[in-house]
Amino acid sequence: MSIEVSGLNKKFGDFVALDNVDVTIPTGQLTALLGPSGGGKSTLLRIIAGLEKGDSGTVNIEGVDATNLPAQKRNVGFVFQHYAVFKHMTVAKNVAFGLEIRKRPKDEIEHRVNELLKLVHLSQFSHRLPSQLSGGQRQRMALARALAVEPKVLLLDEPFGALDAKVRKELRDWLRRLHDDVHVTTVFVTHDQEEALEVADEIVVVNEGRVEQVGTPDQLYDEPANDFVMSFLGEVTHLGGASLRPHDIELETAPRMAGAVEGTIARMVRIGFEVRLTVLTVDGDEVSVVATRTHARSQRLEEGSTVWLTPADGATMVPRMAVAG
Amino acid sequence: MTYVLRIVATAYLFFLVAWPVSLVVTHTFDDGFASISSLLQDPDTVVALQLSAYVAVFSVVINTLFGVGISMLLVRQEFPGKRVLNAMLDIPLSVSPIVVGLALVLVYGGRNGWLGPTLAGWGFDVIFSTPGIIMATTFVALPLMIREIVPVLEEIGIEQEQAAQSLGANAMQRFWRITLPSIKWGIVYGVVLTLARSLGEFGAVKVVSGNVLGQTRTATLVVEEKYLNFDQQGAYATAFLLAMVSVACIVIVAIIRPKNHS
Repeated sequence: MSIEVSGLNKKFGDFVALDNVDVTIPTGQLTALLGPSGGGKSTLLRIIAGLEKGDSGTVNIEGVDATNLPAQKRNVGFVFQHYAVFKHMTVAKNVAFGLEIRKRPKDEIEHRVNELLKLVHLSQFSHRLPSQLSGGQRQRMALARALAVEPKVLLLDEPFGALDAKVRKELRDWLRRLHDDVHVTTVFVTHDQEEALEVADEIVVVNEGRVEQVGTPDQLYDEPANDFVMSFLGEVTHLGGASLRPHDIELETAPRMAGAVEGTIARMVRIGFEVRLTVLTVDGDEVSVVATRTHARSQRLEEGSTVWLTPADGATMVPRMAVAG
Repeated sequence: MTYVLRIVATAYLFFLVAWPVSLVVTHTFDDGFASISSLLQDPDTVVALQLSAYVAVFSVVINTLFGVGISMLLVRQEFPGKRVLNAMLDIPLSVSPIVVGLALVLVYGGRNGWLGPTLAGWGFDVIFSTPGIIMATTFVALPLMIREIVPVLEEIGIEQEQAAQSLGANAMQRFWRITLPSIKWGIVYGVVLTLARSLGEFGAVKVVSGNVLGQTRTATLVVEEKYLNFDQQGAYATAFLLAMVSVACIVIVAIIRPKNHS
């Protein structure tokens, strides 16, 4: 196992950023630390990198106890949300930085820098200053710079958070492909569940300083450990004491199934091929339901219609939390 | 409205700065280069100019080293008494240089100072000697460098240094390769301001130097001396030389500074 964190605690004044965190990150995988802002995921990443120090607990990187090792001796690559480019150096010099610190021979550095710039598609920009690059290009340069020293692990802190939606999507796909080529153990922090589900091999859900669940995207989506994980990974509604996805509710105009809940359609919004309905049940719940346009039309649904709701076969359901988040 | 503001600003600067300074220049060259060349033939004045240059260079070097160090401390570290230190750094700007001079005499005065007699016992005179002039000048110019560097350090933040650290750079390497190049222009401006202030210092130097002709008389003291002795021509010529050095520094920096500096 590549990174092992155990019993990690970190407080900032009275605020508990990490509360006795144990997590193991597998070698060669792309792992996402997913959670809401302020949940402690960036702090966890920075402690793994050595940029922050935990109050107690240990960090083990590839079998070496790194708990008290300064960041410069950990051999981890770190990519920042706001790129942290060296503004006074050219793109090539930025990428060469770690190798120059390691006093590698000049021709080796040049060769490696060219190779990396090709990998991140920045070869033609090697003599420019970072200020002449776009955000996406700067972040690719930062990635090449981190990869140059052949780190044992690559850590990315909200790497696409400062980019606009389109570039973000492109870079996300590109990171996935890059990882398939390079295979360095990679951990990235994100608060965007779509990003995590799409890119990661494994997801660690972090909330309020604790690890809520660890698993593959499928496991997390299909078998969420609790209501929080479920609601964080996608839309959730509540039907009769259980949380489930709005598209996992079946809707009928007559009470055919046992246990169906009666309600009236309060709102109906059509978005492309789908129809979003808000149903007020006789139990006093407000339930969101998503149906296809065809289904809605065939059933002649409209605002004010009386309908009966049942969970679909095979729907993912977890018991509802006491306080719904 | 903008025209009114422009006229007011221009007139204000003209009457307060441009006109008086330009009169110094015209007075200096009333009879061509004669006044300047006669100035440079007077050995006492040459010694004074050299002393001023020597003191200014020392003051710049000391203030640069300490300025960078104190700025790093103020921006990057949290410690008790930080606000007090920050406020103390403005004292040289807020008290009269005469007070600075008298305060230094109280501590380092050769006969009655706190520390002066001990130092004098070791054969090291501070007051009425070059070290005292350097101390007084360094004192009055102290905040200029720090006030230039601190905002730059605050703006660049620590992420570049953290990135360098994760790439394997130790503290020295981070300072030389990342921090120093990033604050380079702040330091350059600080040097120019410190140099100009040091060359022009008068009050504090007058108190601590003893104003001994040919030994501890700096160029600004020469200006006063000549003016009081009705040698107006010489006073203007010396003042002109002092002003030129400062103006030249500012012009050179304005030219070499990159335009797209961010």
